[in-house]
Amino acid sequence: MGFASLLMEAGQDGWAYREVSDPELPEVRQTEWAREDLDYFVQARIEQEGFEPAKEASKRLLVRRAYFDLHGLPPSAEQVEAFLSDQSDKAWENLIESLLASPRYGERWGRHWLDVARYSDSNGMDEDIAHPSAWRYRDYVIESFNNDKPFNQFIIEQLAGDLLPAENLTQQRAQTLGLGFLSVGPKMLACDDPDKMRRDIVDEQMDTMGRAFLGMTIGCARCHDHKIDPISIEDYYGLAGVFMSTKTLTKYSVVAEFHEHDLTEKKHREMWAEVARLEESKNRKETPEDEKGRLVGEISRLKKDLPAPFKVMGVTEYPTQDVRVHLKGDYLTLGDLVPRGVPSAWTGGEKIEMPAEQSGRLELARWISSAKNPLTPRVIVNRLWRWHFGRGIVATPDNFGGLGEEPSHPKLLDHLASLFINSGWSVKSMHRVLMNSATYRQSASAAGDIVEKDPENQLLARWQRRRVESEVIRDSILFKSGRLNFEMGGSLVEVRPNKYIDRAPLQKQAQIPRRTVYLPVYRSTGYDDQKVFDAADPTAPDGNRRCSTVAGQALFLMNSELIHESSDHLASLVLEHPESERGEWLIRRVLDREATQDELLKGQEFLSEYPDRQEGWAAFARVLFASHEFMYVE
Amino acid sequence: MSLCQNREGLPMNRREMLQRSGAGFGALALQAMMARNASAIPKAPPLLGSAKRVIFLFMHGGPSTVDLFDPKPLLARDTGKPFPFQAPRIVSHQSKNLLLKSPWNCQKHGESGSEVCELLPHIASIVDDLCFVRSMHCSNSRHGGALLELHTGSDTFTRPSMGSWINYGLGTENENLPGFITINPSGSHGGAGAWSSAFLPARYSGTRIGGKTAAEMKVPFIDNPLRDRAKQRREIDFLNSFNREYASLRGYDSELESRIASFELAFKMQMEIPGVQDLSGEPEHIKKLYGADVDPTKSFGEQCLTARRFSEAGVRFVQVTHRYWDSHGNLKKDHERLSAEMDKPVAGLISDLKQRGLLDETLVLWGGEFGRTPTAQGSDGRDHNPHGFTMFMAGGGIKPGTVYGTTDDYGYYAQENPVHFHDLHATILHMMGINHTDLTYPYAGRDFRLTDVEGKIITDLLA
Repeated sequence: MGFASLLMEAGQDGWAYREVSDPELPEVRQTEWAREDLDYFVQARIEQEGFEPAKEASKRLLVRRAYFDLHGLPPSAEQVEAFLSDQSDKAWENLIESLLASPRYGERWGRHWLDVARYSDSNGMDEDIAHPSAWRYRDYVIESFNNDKPFNQFIIEQLAGDLLPAENLTQQRAQTLGLGFLSVGPKMLACDDPDKMRRDIVDEQMDTMGRAFLGMTIGCARCHDHKIDPISIEDYYGLAGVFMSTKTLTKYSVVAEFHEHDLTEKKHREMWAEVARLEESKNRKETPEDEKGRLVGEISRLKKDLPAPFKVMGVTEYPTQDVRVHLKGDYLTLGDLVPRGVPSAWTGGEKIEMPAEQSGRLELARWISSAKNPLTPRVIVNRLWRWHFGRGIVATPDNFGGLGEEPSHPKLLDHLASLFINSGWSVKSMHRVLMNSATYRQSASAAGDIVEKDPENQLLARWQRRRVESEVIRDSILFKSGRLNFEMGGSLVEVRPNKYIDRAPLQKQAQIPRRTVYLPVYRSTGYDDQKVFDAADPTAPDGNRRCSTVAGQALFLMNSELIHESSDHLASLVLEHPESERGEWLIRRVLDREATQDELLKGQEFLSEYPDRQEGWAAFARVLFASHEFMYVE
Repeated sequence: MSLCQNREGLPMNRREMLQRSGAGFGALALQAMMARNASAIPKAPPLLGSAKRVIFLFMHGGPSTVDLFDPKPLLARDTGKPFPFQAPRIVSHQSKNLLLKSPWNCQKHGESGSEVCELLPHIASIVDDLCFVRSMHCSNSRHGGALLELHTGSDTFTRPSMGSWINYGLGTENENLPGFITINPSGSHGGAGAWSSAFLPARYSGTRIGGKTAAEMKVPFIDNPLRDRAKQRREIDFLNSFNREYASLRGYDSELESRIASFELAFKMQMEIPGVQDLSGEPEHIKKLYGADVDPTKSFGEQCLTARRFSEAGVRFVQVTHRYWDSHGNLKKDHERLSAEMDKPVAGLISDLKQRGLLDETLVLWGGEFGRTPTAQGSDGRDHNPHGFTMFMAGGGIKPGTVYGTTDDYGYYAQENPVHFHDLHATILHMMGINHTDLTYPYAGRDFRLTDVEGKIITDLLA
């Protein structure tokens, strides 16, 4: 018996555990509106409540919306003009295609996933140890989005990439990089009790996996049967066996060290071993000076053109073990032994066989990413919807359980989930469908009194205006002031793996004009400008960032080094233009639209107070960067 | 309406939204801003609390309280002999468990006769204002774990700091200042975890002001690089014209109004915060009282004085960190130096609060993440001891001139009336007028609280 029916017997709905259906399109009265099938579900609901959808937004607003949404950056003035002057029927589709083809797309949507993966370059918690090469996982995520890697494969690689067959080293590397997902979580690394430490790490991994892919809070069952969701304490320890058979650290004593897969090419690995051997004899006291000199030369000859070792932070296999129930979560008071497995309530009673010689991570990953599993596709399409529209169809994207919200449009959610499965789990195909919909193209100004009747916009009868995220603010300021460096990937910091990170240069690094996604994330601290604008906290998965308005944000926009340096830079660009065109140029540059006469007049008045023109234009630029219009997408 | 979220992290409900849309346009912007940020409005505490504010003097590293406040005659007698009871299952460093007598003497002081080490003469002089808890214990033998447990109640997961919980529960008394300030905290052993709001909204997070000297202690982005208030005022006025134009074309939107107000608030903060932090107006005798005039007390003295000024101005929770008490070796020399830095500023702060009539409503808490073992590490060191140690409190309705709880005859384990960090948290919340079982926040499928499923209010500590 499936869990949905068990729950229904208990008087609960259990909608999330029902099989994903492919519902029929509902009837609508106004047949001209819909552009995609999904629109019928939205429209039927709007009509049922006696309202109408909002009008389509202007092309000028739409192009800005699309750039922010897919790239996390505003368009340039030229890009706006190009779209406005494209009169073809396919202008919008073509714009979306070109945005999806740009590497800026992966940087934006990869960052969304990194929120869920609680990505960090350092451990934080008690001992802020550098994660060895975690940035490779970050780059892997960005690349996976750019390549439109099927999401089911993306899931498997992140949970069990090391257990997939690989034909060559390149493939092995590509698959193994995803394992950072399980390793980058927060851990208490200086624990005097290694047994407790292992169990805490396993608990964190299971909880993150549950929230990220299944919208479930598994952690509750560590101490008792989950009171609301279908996971018993036995289920928990059945899953825990899979992770207890998995090695995350190579050393579980104070201070611990992370496991890395060494995927250096064989001949290079041998050369590195040779370098190490020569260095050792060079450092020996009894080695004569002239011999030392020869060795130095030899070493530098060997190292010349020798690629750096290719190491990937990630979990690996341990001898398999089943785990006993820990009564009240305490591993010192043990109950019955539970064989490794996937809770049968989740699988609709189907038993997932666990191999004797392997942890079972691969089997677990295959079940999670299977189309038969009703949770994962719903959770993923809801995440995509949340990131496009600002609110999920299920408003609690990390919790589909009994304490989460119910879907506002259950059939729409199922429609999208089945579309997603049929597309081969293609995220880009979902962007096309969502963005091409009439629902997406609506204006933010709604018709009639609907704002009062539906303040939360549950009916989706308009576009929801919203402030852009912390990274977008920083990147947009750098971009519009002409400072943004589009170099991709790699590490901005020299970290010594498994050693304490050096927080001192952090604020200096924040000034490097690369995209924010490439700035190192230190869990024990963070960038003041990012935190104040509600950046994701890397201590736990977060698929639903907050959006606050606080005075600290104003302080950043008034006083920060980033804003002053950027506005100075932009002022010098303004001064390259003829005096009569400067105001118009600056407003178009920053706000992607023509200036109004009123603005230009007020601007002149404002500038008249500044004898120093550079200073005046910098002040003008700061004002535009701080404006509502710069920060809001509509 | 634009999309933003209320303090539960969920979209605002209709009633809330309508209430706000009825609030008028423009003129009420600042009020709207304050309404959005619940922290800016002092909320009536649900119970009648004795304390309004907390100043936490955190001794990072773990001071040896068996030497400072909990003298043990048997330890002196049996020095060099093996610890006669079972040592803990988990220890930070393996040792031979040989007892080590204190290098210093303790004496009874004041009318209460509480015992204080000779290294702390200033604290000794105010013992009748203090309440010592000698039976503190916690669950973790490592700095990071114990530190996070002390600050957040959990040594396993990321949880909100007690300063965040208190601000979530009560709000701040001064909307121009953050409600939770931590002065010169340690970046290690928990780092931001110790002042993070975790799953509580970010505005309840502690504001870190780093730096050892008063001049270095800065709220992020508080300094205007233009150093010209009139110019900045002009920028904000010009910005307002853009923002009002934008907002007026879009119908009432409380979030846009709040944003306009946030610049006014920031402008006021810029004026107020440097004033609060400016110690130059403090009379010499006050600086002397804190030792803020000369070394070795100057740095910590300035920090304690700054803490008083923030607290006085209405900051609910101010923390000052003094480090680094981790004397695995060099106990004698290091504890003498650290005591000399810490003693006068702490006693000065408490006396100053008292003479200003603020001590009754300000709870001062002193302590480290754990104490140190009565057994030796090497010949002149002690290991971490989470099993029994002393913290002390003053003001805010605590019972003055008392000693509560005991450790065993050697000072290793809490024995009579043990007080866990969870109990300390429950008691502090109680003193603030909050029932610790009622202060909850829904997260990841259940209601969380500072004391999790634990916590016992120690009524014997209350006046």
